[in-house]
Amino acid sequence: MQQVDLSVEIAGVRFPNPVMPASGAYEVDEIHDNFFSPSQLGAVINKTIFLHPRPGNPPPRIWETPCGMLNAIGIPCDGADSFIKEKLPILRKLGPPVVVSIAGETMEEWIELSEKIEETGMVDLLELNLSCPNLSEGIPWSTEEKTLERVVSAVVSRVKLPVIAKLSPVVTDIADMARAAERAGAAALSMINTYKGMAIDIRKKRPALGNITGGLSGPAIRPLAVWAVYSAYEVVKIPIIGMGGVEGPVAALEFLLAGASAVAVGMYNFIDPFTMKRTIEGIQEYLVSEGYDSVRQIIGLAHGKG
Amino acid sequence: MAAPVYRKAILVSRKESPRGYVHLVIREEQIARTASPGQFVMVRGWHTGDPILPRPFDIVLADPLKGVFRICIKVEGKGTRLLSALKKGSTLYVTGPLGKSITEFDTAGTALLVRGAGSAAVVFLAETLTKLKKPVYTVLSASTKSRLVCRALLEEFSNDLFIATDDGTEGYHGNGTDILDRLIQEGKVDTVYTCGSHRFARHLKALDLAGKVKGFLFLEGNMGCGMGDCHGCAVKKEGKEGYFLVCMDGPVFRSRDVVVE
Repeated sequence: MQQVDLSVEIAGVRFPNPVMPASGAYEVDEIHDNFFSPSQLGAVINKTIFLHPRPGNPPPRIWETPCGMLNAIGIPCDGADSFIKEKLPILRKLGPPVVVSIAGETMEEWIELSEKIEETGMVDLLELNLSCPNLSEGIPWSTEEKTLERVVSAVVSRVKLPVIAKLSPVVTDIADMARAAERAGAAALSMINTYKGMAIDIRKKRPALGNITGGLSGPAIRPLAVWAVYSAYEVVKIPIIGMGGVEGPVAALEFLLAGASAVAVGMYNFIDPFTMKRTIEGIQEYLVSEGYDSVRQIIGLAHGKG
Repeated sequence: MAAPVYRKAILVSRKESPRGYVHLVIREEQIARTASPGQFVMVRGWHTGDPILPRPFDIVLADPLKGVFRICIKVEGKGTRLLSALKKGSTLYVTGPLGKSITEFDTAGTALLVRGAGSAAVVFLAETLTKLKKPVYTVLSASTKSRLVCRALLEEFSNDLFIATDDGTEGYHGNGTDILDRLIQEGKVDTVYTCGSHRFARHLKALDLAGKVKGFLFLEGNMGCGMGDCHGCAVKKEGKEGYFLVCMDGPVFRSRDVVVE
């Protein structure tokens, strides 16, 4: 295959290609190494960690829906110390840039955890999961502009690591939230987290999920996610990592053309463990057949300004 | 653990037995060669978005020489209906073998207490124990005679097969746990596996906690991936906070380690 440059830059960090896992949807371990090596990815990321251990939600935690699934996992984690000791060194050794996804239950926790992660010296980017199900102060962190700005600017003022704000799409206008994150000093955006929804188990005549509501992901939400990225690209200068139903190269290219500098694969890793590899290869084939030298030439092309 | 693969595979044969349960024999050589008792596969027979996720199935038997393995599907929902309707020669997508293998075969006598779809889960174990010349006593339970699952296979791989039906249409008229209790009293078994009934699981856990036998449960979970990514198949730990994942920590668990509903 003809060589094209697949590398992109997110907040000053070079990704060898624009495809990475979405947080919480891909484990780096022996099983996955059998399929393809995660060292081939554009970046690697952990399942969101909190400062302290959390058990996660009671089952049922997932529920299949047309072209997607609801999840209410509740972010189980062993806490920051365990992550730093056990998992982070494994991610660091792989080669691609390491993004660490964190969430806080309080403002103090956001700050303490950010500093703790930076101190390891093993991290390239910090992703703030601002759309976690555990609410603080009565509202989710990224569904209200002022709260979002407050968290992002607090973290940005304490750490030197570039900060990615991962946004919830359940807002009046996501472009406003993208702007707020940029104003607060975010170096990049991850767009979008899942859409809140629910399903009813008609046999049990009860909500299908133990948590009642869950986050909808998968190809079902892709047009919504592409629109979110497109609209944010119009108003911010910081790079965007696009996600929401990426199942292969066609979906990934939609996001890139809409303005994402990279894409993340979530649910489809469950269905086809080769999805990310296929996506990287398919983007490369597309670039060759369309006569581009670099993936960077197609970012945002759908806006017709290039 | 054997390295799992994700492959396109061919449906070699299908057979419905009893009504509502469909056995699929699938050709995928590496899975057939490396699978061991306790392990499962994720199977998808569609490119559609509805259903979209693969479905987990215990490996009923694997034949390394022929390069095939068998699963047994209880037809319940959209996914199982589609899989059960596939014709010979159809393409499937399979990931496996997944989950932890059973490693404890050094038992004086093993009892298998099973019902419904759970009957299929223990066949591979029964075959392995039989090959190792370890005694196997199977208690196969169903609501009625025509609902007994994997009867012929379990008969082949058991020293004794006991049947219990709720309505007395065949074998013991009553609860399969009565037969298990008798086997334990007679000193024939020190290890018991169960699958397919919460009632059986609760009974076995009580025996395990009382130190009467080593009890093991084949659990199912609400699995999206089968390999630790989605964290869907959580089962509560006994006596401590948190959850196991059926796909990574199981699917076979020591009964005293998990909360049984």
